[in-house]
Amino acid sequence: MSDVVAFTPPRDGDKDPPPAPAYVELAVTTNYSFLRGASHPEEMVLQAAALGMPGMAVADRNTVAGVVRAYVQANILNEQTPELKFKYAAGCRLAFRDGTPDVLAWPTDRAAWGRLCRLLTAGNRRAPKGECYLDLADLMEWGRGLVLGVMPAARLDAALRATLVKLAAAFPGDVRLMANFTYAGEDRRRLAALARLAAEIGVPLMATNDVHYHHPDRRPLQDVVTCIREKTTLRDAGFRLAASAERHLKPPAEMARLFKRYPDALAETLRVLGQIEFSLGDLRYHYPEESTAGFANPNEALAYFAFAGAKFRYPDGIPDRVRIKLDEELAIIAGREYAPYFLTVYDIVRFARDERKILCQGRGSAANSVVCYCLGITEVDPHHADLLFERFISPNRNEPPDIDVDFEHERREEVMQYIYNKYSRERAGIAATVITYRTRSAIRDVGKVFGLSEDSVGALASTTWGWSSEGVRDADVTRAGLDPAERTLKMVLTLCRDLIGFPRHLSQHVGGFVMTNDRLDETVPVMNAAMEDRTHVEWDKDDLDAVGMMKVDVLALGMLSCIRRALDFIAAKYGEKLTLDTIPKEDPAVYAMLGRADSVGVFQVESRAQMSMLPRLKPKKFYDLVIEVAIVRPGPIQGDMVHPYLRRREGSEPVDYPSPSPEHGPANELRAILERTLGVPLFQEQAMKIAMDAAEFTAAEADGLRRAMATFRRNGTIGNYRTRMIERMTARGYDRDFAERCFHQIEGFGDYGFPESHAASFALLVYASAWIKTHYPDVFCAALLNAQPMGFYAPAQIVRDAERHGVVALPPDVNHSDWDCTLEPLPVGGTGKLHHLHGEMAGDIRTRHAVRLGLRQIKSTREDDVTGALMPRRGRGYDSVRDLWLRTGLHRAAIEHLADGDAFRSLGLDRRDALWAARGEGALKAKDRLPLFDVAERADIRNEPDFALPPMLPGEHVVHDYRYLSLSLKAHPLSFLRPELAARHIVTAEILRDTPGGRRVTVSGLVITRQRPGTANGVIFMTLEDETDIANIIVWPKTYERYRPVVLGSRLVSVTGKVQSQKGVVHVVADLIVDLSPLLARLSADASDLSALARADEVARPGEDQRGAHRHPRNVRFFVDDKAGATHAVMPKGRNFH
Amino acid sequence: MGLADARAMIPTLAVADEDPNADLTLLDEIADWAERYTPLVARGSDGLMLDITGCAHLFGGEEALLADCLARLLTQGFLARGAIADTPGAAWAIARFAETGVTGPGAALPVLASLPVAALRLEAETVSALNRVGLKRIGQIVDAPRAPLAARFGSLLLRRLDQALGREEEAIDPRRPPPVFIAERRFAEPIAREEDVSAALTSLAATLAASLERHGEGARRLEYALFRVDGAVTRITVGATRPLRSPKLILALFREKFASFGDDLDAGFGFDMARLSAAATAPADPLQTDLIGDGDPAADIAGLVDRIGARLGEDRVTALVEHPTHIPERAESFVPQAALAGQPRAAAPPPDSALRPLRLFAHPEPIVVTAEIPDGPPAQFRWRRALYRVIRAEGPERIAAEWWNGIGPTRDYFRVEDEAGRRFWLYRDGLFSEAAEPQWYVHGLFA
Repeated sequence: MSDVVAFTPPRDGDKDPPPAPAYVELAVTTNYSFLRGASHPEEMVLQAAALGMPGMAVADRNTVAGVVRAYVQANILNEQTPELKFKYAAGCRLAFRDGTPDVLAWPTDRAAWGRLCRLLTAGNRRAPKGECYLDLADLMEWGRGLVLGVMPAARLDAALRATLVKLAAAFPGDVRLMANFTYAGEDRRRLAALARLAAEIGVPLMATNDVHYHHPDRRPLQDVVTCIREKTTLRDAGFRLAASAERHLKPPAEMARLFKRYPDALAETLRVLGQIEFSLGDLRYHYPEESTAGFANPNEALAYFAFAGAKFRYPDGIPDRVRIKLDEELAIIAGREYAPYFLTVYDIVRFARDERKILCQGRGSAANSVVCYCLGITEVDPHHADLLFERFISPNRNEPPDIDVDFEHERREEVMQYIYNKYSRERAGIAATVITYRTRSAIRDVGKVFGLSEDSVGALASTTWGWSSEGVRDADVTRAGLDPAERTLKMVLTLCRDLIGFPRHLSQHVGGFVMTNDRLDETVPVMNAAMEDRTHVEWDKDDLDAVGMMKVDVLALGMLSCIRRALDFIAAKYGEKLTLDTIPKEDPAVYAMLGRADSVGVFQVESRAQMSMLPRLKPKKFYDLVIEVAIVRPGPIQGDMVHPYLRRREGSEPVDYPSPSPEHGPANELRAILERTLGVPLFQEQAMKIAMDAAEFTAAEADGLRRAMATFRRNGTIGNYRTRMIERMTARGYDRDFAERCFHQIEGFGDYGFPESHAASFALLVYASAWIKTHYPDVFCAALLNAQPMGFYAPAQIVRDAERHGVVALPPDVNHSDWDCTLEPLPVGGTGKLHHLHGEMAGDIRTRHAVRLGLRQIKSTREDDVTGALMPRRGRGYDSVRDLWLRTGLHRAAIEHLADGDAFRSLGLDRRDALWAARGEGALKAKDRLPLFDVAERADIRNEPDFALPPMLPGEHVVHDYRYLSLSLKAHPLSFLRPELAARHIVTAEILRDTPGGRRVTVSGLVITRQRPGTANGVIFMTLEDETDIANIIVWPKTYERYRPVVLGSRLVSVTGKVQSQKGVVHVVADLIVDLSPLLARLSADASDLSALARADEVARPGEDQRGAHRHPRNVRFFVDDKAGATHAVMPKGRNFH
Repeated sequence: MGLADARAMIPTLAVADEDPNADLTLLDEIADWAERYTPLVARGSDGLMLDITGCAHLFGGEEALLADCLARLLTQGFLARGAIADTPGAAWAIARFAETGVTGPGAALPVLASLPVAALRLEAETVSALNRVGLKRIGQIVDAPRAPLAARFGSLLLRRLDQALGREEEAIDPRRPPPVFIAERRFAEPIAREEDVSAALTSLAATLAASLERHGEGARRLEYALFRVDGAVTRITVGATRPLRSPKLILALFREKFASFGDDLDAGFGFDMARLSAAATAPADPLQTDLIGDGDPAADIAGLVDRIGARLGEDRVTALVEHPTHIPERAESFVPQAALAGQPRAAAPPPDSALRPLRLFAHPEPIVVTAEIPDGPPAQFRWRRALYRVIRAEGPERIAAEWWNGIGPTRDYFRVEDEAGRRFWLYRDGLFSEAAEPQWYVHGLFA
């Protein structure tokens, strides 16, 4: 994070302060001129104010992407120091492709702003992504109402005069000639020439410093971004870098000194600023009105639909509470004129749900209103569980309504196209996402600029895990084998820290749509996205929020696809027609299952952290799930709220409410806010509410805090609120420690804000998926597999978990499987066996079907081949490989893939026989085959000599199952190695459950997941799987450093360490980790594989050099059978999560 | 495993790009060397195949030949594996998959039978398919029915099998010598005297010139290699600015080199072979082939550069080159002419270059200046005890230090003219915000 210049008011102590010369800087290039400026817009505003300028204008190169940030900063500034009356203007620096010199443009009124947006949109739309092609002709078309400052190049040329003449004629009175001090040696001559030119053409001269950074100290960073942009190094950049550090904001006194012969040029800046009447605050947002058709006004329309929906929701009559709440909410909505927003979202949801049968659900602050429930936007029933302490936007808070809608991930595009079609591209666009530098990208780019070798840059970048924004720590640098004190490296690291947070380019938001009633491109410029047929605006969601524009997030959620598939299965196979709304509520069996952390595959609560939390929280009712979803998040963790909550829940700590001193307020003023969470704030809304009630934040302050929270990482303005909140709370008699924790929590929310309203919507999906898993594990398994990839676990774990719940899983088979997984009647005598751990669920499980794995599970198999040829021509079944080949006309390779997947068992062929047969059919290519000969060929039983293929051992079958299906229904790989593992005193994972804490054990297993949560101080959680169960491993950072290659690279490990047991959650804290991957080679070893066995044995002697360097060189084998490598490569790599 | 994964595991991992071309070049060089055993050397992608039929006795038998070859390679720093067998196929397989050594006539079958099918020089896909049906060792297919195998795995499988077992003839494909230009002479009696060495060179140069001319090439780099009887090799290399092939010029270049050698050319017990080779060539300028020769003025300069370079060292002949930097004294420098060959001599000047003095002092000279603070031009200055009154001045031109090379003061340059019309380039070393009393310097003269 870059430093932020604190604003210090001009000191009064100085004797006779000279009258501040009047000057404002209007030509400011920020870092939103991507890789051209070296300061954030916020820094520019603060610095300008600190230098005593009464205002400033941002003018980025062919974009207005950064103007809102400066606007927000200027507002905060004026709020903090109203006497300043800092006037901020938004502008743009137009750079042309036709040789016209740069022209700065500042809109004087709203209409001119609209024209500027149209101008930029035109330039954006005709250019590839990230570029803007402008010609002078465009400016002539859209330039009315703009003050235009023509910026001369270093050498004055004919183009300057021509442009000035042309513009002055077209826009009389609005054109200025910009004069800047270049420090190239001939400034006096140049300024005189500019003054002459200005006088001759009759346009005023206007002073500027053509600012590119807020402070001279940013020159290095400016040079670095220039090099990044020019794809060169500092050594080679030469004259592309500026000779000196003069392009910073200069104090008005210094500007006055430089321009002392041209005082008018200085005064002109204030005149222009005075002429500008437009502020971004003037952008009045107009909601689309489509959905109001047929009603007198939007409010009436919304009331009509809401009550109609309520009648549907409550067929037995609308309960009074609901009716009262509905009236209240409708009144608030009418008062704030939000009705069109709700109607717009309603329309999108109605289209998806009713017209396209797409499952969807809303969330967000407004989404949990009764209105939204009645409109069908959400399914969280306010009547059934009146749970949310504040269900709706508060009338005295200035928050725009916020509704995100999740759709089935495979079908979201339909919804997006509907929006584009309905509102047209002039009125609907996707919000932007600002792609900013993070540690890795910063290291890469800065390292290149300094000419560091690819190796050093790669080594540095790889020291950070994931998406860190904290820069590289010195310890990491040392670990990468580099010296952090070395001069160049030091500069690189320092500049990286400055560069982190800088915008790199704009991209499209994942699904944030902005829709307007009038033209969108007259409010904000629209630009091309990387995806074809997609356009997005230049502002991101915070910007849109700041100017009060409505946005609907149209998001994709894999779990919704899964649930829809599951509900379809239940309807088809069990005759129970359910929707999200009608899934039986508050089913104790569901909570019992979750309480045992039996949550593989369940939405949101299947991660390791959640699984450890579930048995401690033991959810009993819906609201507990809301808490469960929200509690394992950075906010509560950083605020240290998790353990107090758990203790109170367990009854080992009294529930009390922090209170102010009696003179400051009632002791229970926080009770209403914190009652549901036992006095411990867990949700973002609670933290905000505490700021308002306990720290007495005004609505405006709370609004500022909310914004600062959202942009915490970017500009660090949240620090302004820290003291205010903590001091005010302690002043009112609150415990300082509590106040600080509350604030920490707010900071934690900054990264991954998680309000109760979101948690409630997610909790509903948690409940729905858990309900399906509880009662129909077969359905759940099949639906999850068909919605892959998603979630935390690989298919192998999902299937295994289903089997332990008594589900019979059947292998993919050419005669039985579809593309997707299906449910089929249980095979004769083949009932599943419920694992004793889940014994208590026996009465709840209603499964009467087996899951037949789909052919999608077989690697390299194509959906077209299966649904287009294999399934439709199957008839009563294929009776031989040859039969299948002849009837489907599939390519030999496709049949081989099926054989590799062992999908010919119903024909009595194992994969080896099937492959032998499949390869025998390859002589003729399908397309060369004439149907006429089919019959003849079929009659032809070729006289092939018998060929005795060696039988495949079970272990090898399992290896091949993993290789081609990524799971095996035959056995777990470790079951074959158990004697060997037992000989090493390795216990099974199952034993751990009954092992007393503190005992040292060794377990082993395939590495399923590795997780390093950002909130866990570098601790790594590994999950191992053996044939009996899963083992949870904790790896402390020190241990991790010692075993890093093993932790990250092995497929099969053994871990030795102490058992830690807490509330039924068992962990092994690793102190010794051994890579056992080579053992896997034994699975496919047969009598002829002696060399593979010999190699695997080397594992038995860890510590000895296994690479053979000490052997006599003559005996080094270059081409040893690398089966050992090949076999363990087949096993899953393990999934990594952050 | 991807590089990112590997680096995550071992951050200090040293990474080198694979350079298949360099590998092949090296293999080619080893192949060159291996021609000492037999002229029939074939190069594969990962090894060499030598047809030693009728050669082994020269080295004391097959075992001895193999041992000699591997030992020599080892002393050169190569870990090599080698095998001698009846057929190229068997030798290939054994060298890579079995204990190395000599497999006697007819003894290959039992060895091969235990090797994996990959030892048959098959495509990866075929090997994988064979493994998947359980056919992993060559022994499993040696006597198997042939038709089903051919139908499933192609006829190449059987062909390779037959070749390895000697059921089918296979000849190796010796590499063609690459088109380099070499002239060689072996001497019946070792030579040692300088005249003889020169005489040999004269005749070799003529031979080489002829073959260069046939191919329209000229030599950019020539190597004269003298093989001493005791095995040591003296190599003398000369470079040419322009491609050349005239024996006269070649001789002239080497003569400069010989002169610098003086008495250091240690012939020991004499040289038994001399080789003149053109290590680098380029299409030769056809102008050079005119009847008179030496008529091109550029060729004269190039010839001069080459000759001085050959005598004094190539690095000593330099040219002035511009560099794109704002720092005036670093804006040009002397660079060895040889390093510039073929490149433009000057980088493009900056688009808005400010005026630079005709003469730039190597070491700026301190002066005492009267000037307005903070950045006014000098009014008068004292240099070498003389006082100069400034009547015209322009500036400042502000040039900051290249921060990545170290922190330095920012300079403000002024062009000034004194009463006598003399023009100076002065600078103040540091802004007043950087130093309390910055020192002034004169850095150059305009006229």
